Amino acid sequence: MREDSSVSRRRYVQLAGGVGVLALAGCTEDEDPDEIDTGNGADDADDTGDSDSEGDLEIVHWWTAGGEEQALNALLDGFEEAYPEHSVENNPAPGGAGAAIDAAIQTRVIDQDPPSTFQIWPGEAVRPYLEADALESIDDVWEDEDAYVDGVIDAAAPDGDLVVAPINIHRLNNLFYNVDVVEDAGIDPTDAENPEDLLDLLEAADDAGYVGLAQQTQEPWGILQFWEMVFLGQYGADTYEQFLAGDAESLESEIADSLELVERISEFHNEDAGTVAWDEANADVITGDAAFHHNGDWAAGEYQGADGFEYGENWEYIPFPGTEGIYTMVMDGFVYPANNPTPEATEAFVSYCTTADAQERFNPHKGSIPPRTDVETDGFPPFLQDQMADFEASDEQTVTISHGSGLEPARADQVQEAFAVFTDNWDVDETTQELIGIF
Amino acid sequence: MGFIDRLRSRTGRRDREDRSERSRTDGQSEEPQTDGQRGELRTDGGSDVRTRGGLSRLKHSDAVQAVPFWLPPALLMGWFVYGAVGWNLLISLTDWSGLSQPDYTNLTLEMYTQMPNDPSFVAAFRNTVVLLVAFTVVSLVIGLVLAILVDQNIRFENTLRTIYLLPMALSFVVTAIFWSWMYNPSTGTINVVLSTIGLDFLTMDWIGDPRTRLAAIIFALTWQFSGYAMVVYLAGLRAIPDSHYEAAKVDGAGSLRMYWRVIVPQLSASTTSAAVVLMVFALKAFDFIFIMFGDNPGRSADILAVMMFRVAFSRTQWAYGAAVATILFLMALSVVAPYLYLQYKRGDL
Repeated sequence: MREDSSVSRRRYVQLAGGVGVLALAGCTEDEDPDEIDTGNGADDADDTGDSDSEGDLEIVHWWTAGGEEQALNALLDGFEEAYPEHSVENNPAPGGAGAAIDAAIQTRVIDQDPPSTFQIWPGEAVRPYLEADALESIDDVWEDEDAYVDGVIDAAAPDGDLVVAPINIHRLNNLFYNVDVVEDAGIDPTDAENPEDLLDLLEAADDAGYVGLAQQTQEPWGILQFWEMVFLGQYGADTYEQFLAGDAESLESEIADSLELVERISEFHNEDAGTVAWDEANADVITGDAAFHHNGDWAAGEYQGADGFEYGENWEYIPFPGTEGIYTMVMDGFVYPANNPTPEATEAFVSYCTTADAQERFNPHKGSIPPRTDVETDGFPPFLQDQMADFEASDEQTVTISHGSGLEPARADQVQEAFAVFTDNWDVDETTQELIGIF
Repeated sequence: MGFIDRLRSRTGRRDREDRSERSRTDGQSEEPQTDGQRGELRTDGGSDVRTRGGLSRLKHSDAVQAVPFWLPPALLMGWFVYGAVGWNLLISLTDWSGLSQPDYTNLTLEMYTQMPNDPSFVAAFRNTVVLLVAFTVVSLVIGLVLAILVDQNIRFENTLRTIYLLPMALSFVVTAIFWSWMYNPSTGTINVVLSTIGLDFLTMDWIGDPRTRLAAIIFALTWQFSGYAMVVYLAGLRAIPDSHYEAAKVDGAGSLRMYWRVIVPQLSASTTSAAVVLMVFALKAFDFIFIMFGDNPGRSADILAVMMFRVAFSRTQWAYGAAVATILFLMALSVVAPYLYLQYKRGDL
């Protein structure tokens, strides 16, 4: 009897082990079998013609939620329609607006095993890849260079050769406001001509019992992008470019002045600015507790998602005071990595990203505008149509440090750290010296 | 006797069963060999073994006989853990940055010598030490008090024990997000409760204000892990015989004195093992801080783990990131090594 029970126990363990192994095998079966077949696409019924020698187009990006995911899917659908001979392997690396993708892509590039294409900010964000010769020029596959304004071309070609195909542009120099709140406080935002005037508006809103500026200071990019706008509004695009070019030393007094204004404005932040994320701060504008919010136009997505909160009626925006005629761009784009596993498919995809069709499909979902200026505006909501008109009429386009395009990643992160310290101690002199010391 | 022998004697019954089963299936040839082995084990080597020479002795030594048990895990650990640690150390001696391959020809200690002059590193190091010490001590004290209270044969003991332990089962990601809601200065639970009970002067901008930020993080982590310390202490308390309590009472010690002089000193083994685990948790507080602040928490809450990530992945300064990782590794080692040595001396290893 004892032996019987021992045998059955052993059987039980064997059985459980067997089930475990089967379960594991079942889990791994989800892996795309095509990956193993790379280089032998003949097995794959979908593959025809040229791509016989290639695998799927592996695309790495961080768009995995809500409108972003819809936008990407619309783009991929359009690509597969335009190039039925190529199929796509969607490989997202979500998290932290690009923090997770960095780690994933960088190690693969170092190992010379890059994906077919990946998402990156145009501009200086690609500098480490250029220094490692990890990107190929896309001059030959870029469609209609004439359809782009100079600022976009400059960001797409940091060293003179086009290397990033931008797919969308968000605007950063917006100042959103709740119409009822500013009317109740008796202020007219369009009066503000420069960043100093903004202080008067915020004081008036504060006197009327509202939070002046809904802001988040928990992560440093909120104050960094605000400072960028103040600096740009006070001293113009040329001075700002001078800072990006590394000549911070001769701008000492300008930097100190702008930081001081940012510090004075911080008095009008919401009380919980240090504890909230940007969308929680932005919710104060929707609920009518706060008057203003500065952010990229992704903040408008929150307004459009709120019930009974209409553009033009309940909320409005102005270009950040002092930056009229400037369009501060936050872009995303796709590249053509060297040592490419699927040269033809990648060429086709990058080329497709530069077409009006791709940008028209992608941007309405993303809540951004197309980099090309010849895209039909019909499919876009009124707010974005206004932004597209502003973009076409803009005299200058600038990029940002807070969203990657302005400075190479190592410097940009040091600037972020300087602003993390600034939001702790609001010490203008220390932060000025810190910023100068970075270059 | 070696561990194989102890294993055999402990599983003696099963062993005999197995052997009789094996001899049934494998035939008679197996029988004499196993018998010989068993005989040898009984005599425990002695002069007999020495005369047979080195090879045979080696063949019958515990270490060799246990090869199937220790070799595969040793190889796996050696390659994936110690190999990686060694490679990390090597990288920290180069000046590798960017996305090209590292150059191992010119190895220097430059990454380490620049640390004391880097205010960011100094702040992160200081915070890591503060977090390590404060979090561990506070968690242990709270855990001990909870354990003593739960050990009083109270009703619902199991329920209470589960309630205290449950936070540990939550991920840092979850606790970071809801603590940041609770710490919200205008709508968060903590300030709302404080002002309802008339303690308005205590309300603060807990994680917005750099002066309270680290303390707020330590408090949240303590909440999450003091339950673990409680469970370890509870096990320790249960191991103390009742007679010790009774003897102390007979000698006229009050409760406080009894615990302080008699019970707590006997919990030193529990204290060391709980402390080591807690300290390692403290070094890994990365998730909690990263979820709240991203990779730039500012000088008041930066810790080495976050700095390591920031330097390596946001700035592609791999060598400096590896150097920070090495410092972190040495800190963890300085916590764990004395503990292991203590265990070894005590004969527990």
